[in-house]
Amino acid sequence: MRHLYVVTYDISSPKRWRRVFRTMRGFGDHLQLSVFLCDLPLMERVQMQALLHEIIHHEEDKVMIVDLGPTEGRTIQSIETIGIPVEITKRGPQVV
Amino acid sequence: MDAATDSAAGAEEVPPLPVRMLNEYTYCPRLGYLMWVQGEFMDSADTVDGRFQHRRVDQEKKRRISRRAPVDDGPVTIHARSVSLASDRLGLVAKIDLVEGECNRVTPVDYKRGKRPHIPKGAWEPEMVQLCAQGLILRDNGFECGEGVLYFAASRERVPVVFDGALIARTLELVDLMRKAAREGVVPPPLVDSPKCPRCALVSICLPDEVTFLQSQAHEPRPLFPSRDDALPFYVQHQGARVRKDGDVLKIMERDELLAEGRLREISQLVLFGGVQVSTGVIQELCKRGIPMTYLSGGGWFYGVTHGMSHKNVELRRHQYRTATDASRSLVLARRFVQAKIANCRTLLRRNASTVPEDVLDDLKGDMRRAGEAPTMETLLGVEGNSAQRYFSWFSSMLANGMGFAFEHRNRRPPKDPVNALLSLAYAMLAREWTTTLLAVGFDPYLGFYHQPRYGRPALALDLMEEFRPLIGDSAVITAINNEEIRRRDFIETLGAVALTPVGRSRFIEVYERRMSQEITHPVFGYTISYRRVLEVQARLLGRHLAGEIPEYPSFTTR
Repeated sequence: MRHLYVVTYDISSPKRWRRVFRTMRGFGDHLQLSVFLCDLPLMERVQMQALLHEIIHHEEDKVMIVDLGPTEGRTIQSIETIGIPVEITKRGPQVV
Repeated sequence: MDAATDSAAGAEEVPPLPVRMLNEYTYCPRLGYLMWVQGEFMDSADTVDGRFQHRRVDQEKKRRISRRAPVDDGPVTIHARSVSLASDRLGLVAKIDLVEGECNRVTPVDYKRGKRPHIPKGAWEPEMVQLCAQGLILRDNGFECGEGVLYFAASRERVPVVFDGALIARTLELVDLMRKAAREGVVPPPLVDSPKCPRCALVSICLPDEVTFLQSQAHEPRPLFPSRDDALPFYVQHQGARVRKDGDVLKIMERDELLAEGRLREISQLVLFGGVQVSTGVIQELCKRGIPMTYLSGGGWFYGVTHGMSHKNVELRRHQYRTATDASRSLVLARRFVQAKIANCRTLLRRNASTVPEDVLDDLKGDMRRAGEAPTMETLLGVEGNSAQRYFSWFSSMLANGMGFAFEHRNRRPPKDPVNALLSLAYAMLAREWTTTLLAVGFDPYLGFYHQPRYGRPALALDLMEEFRPLIGDSAVITAINNEEIRRRDFIETLGAVALTPVGRSRFIEVYERRMSQEITHPVFGYTISYRRVLEVQARLLGRHLAGEIPEYPSFTTR
């Protein structure tokens, strides 16, 4: 079952921040500074958590994962933007 | 490389059995067999989390067990993590999470990711057997060991397990059973309608309900695996593009301009048309992740595939080779492929062409019967040729009028009209799809039962795609034309050969992929499933048939 997650983070060292950013790029769309939107099956959510767990410093950094619920057969409605529109990539086979 | 494969070269006929596998075998004999003997593995949320919990155990400082206890310093405390030990007598190997104790008296501790189960014995049998086997190995290495501990990480509870006579006897019995199954090479039957199956990571490989259903028709199969895939194909057809890797993301570049990006986790295969460059970094990463990369010419001719190390399931390939050398068994399979193909062609005509006379449909039915009775491969080829001619002579009646597309007969190398160009591309895509599916399941795609192995053709892929030509290929072509997604101007003609323009090709790929993603009711099992997944299920069922588990290969025909 795929769910939509918003992942946000505060990382105190630039080195770890970059590692978190690079890792998160593999899981979802970079919405804005330190905010990612990810549409993940349970397995990848666990993977993401495990990887972030290893990267961050548990006393100095924090990561928040907000579960926006299942995405299967549903379009995203819970996101509204003001100003510059947010780009969300559609899941599907890609042809370049 | 793990211990099991390491020492297999010795005189031992069965390599040492890892106790972790004994746990799986106790849970379900078939699961243990698939994982240990056939080397099957698939990740699920549970296995990923389990590995993560164990990595934390293993990362803590490793220490060897020192058994030279100094005589006068009092008892020596042992506290060693991630200890690898073997017992030659029992033919067992184990990696023990933690060994605690004093002097010679030790206790193995095994970490479990979940919470303690609230059942009378305090733990489930597979965990107790695994722990007991660790205890027996420790005993064979000169330690005294009367009990072990299961540590449940989620509830932070320790559950002691006493190695009494009954547990030891049960453990030894299971070791013998598992080694016997491995020696004899017979896969244990699936559990019947078991509540263990839905959470099992290997359920889509094992196909417990499907196999049981095809054996005895007893229970309607439950939908135990997702009806669609999480990862999808990524096509690059932009000539002159380069594919680069940046972390977990693939970047498609043209000079310094970024054309597109794709997350590796969401890619099931990378498909390259014609002149596209790929960096070594990308190739290595794709091999590591088990994502195949396929090459097609600009016109869609399927050249080849790059993939990681071959699949471990040698047993499956042995069954395949054995059947392919057996002319009568090959003929039985070939008949089914052809019969199902004609059946699906007939259904497609019946549904999409109202003008087709009843006697043509009857003739096709006759072809089906003749294919089912064909005494030799030559006869079968003849029947197939005849029915194909019959089918294609009515093919144009399925195309909507006024789109400017005419079709008289099938031609190729090169296709001489737009419809044939589309059909050729569709079949090439299907051959590619089947080749990668067969590789992923563990087959050798080059050795078939109907198509002969020559000219490097993926014969088995061509065999299995027969019944899907009308279902996926022809159907995508008809949709593309009738919905006006492809028009006359999407083709270019050079010296009598007709090819698609890059825009047309890209649009046709979209139609084809939409068809692959389409969810249908499985004609035999009754649950909803996408065509993409149907291919994998068919390939695994073929494996089950070759291994003798199910009497016939259930070909896929729609009504």
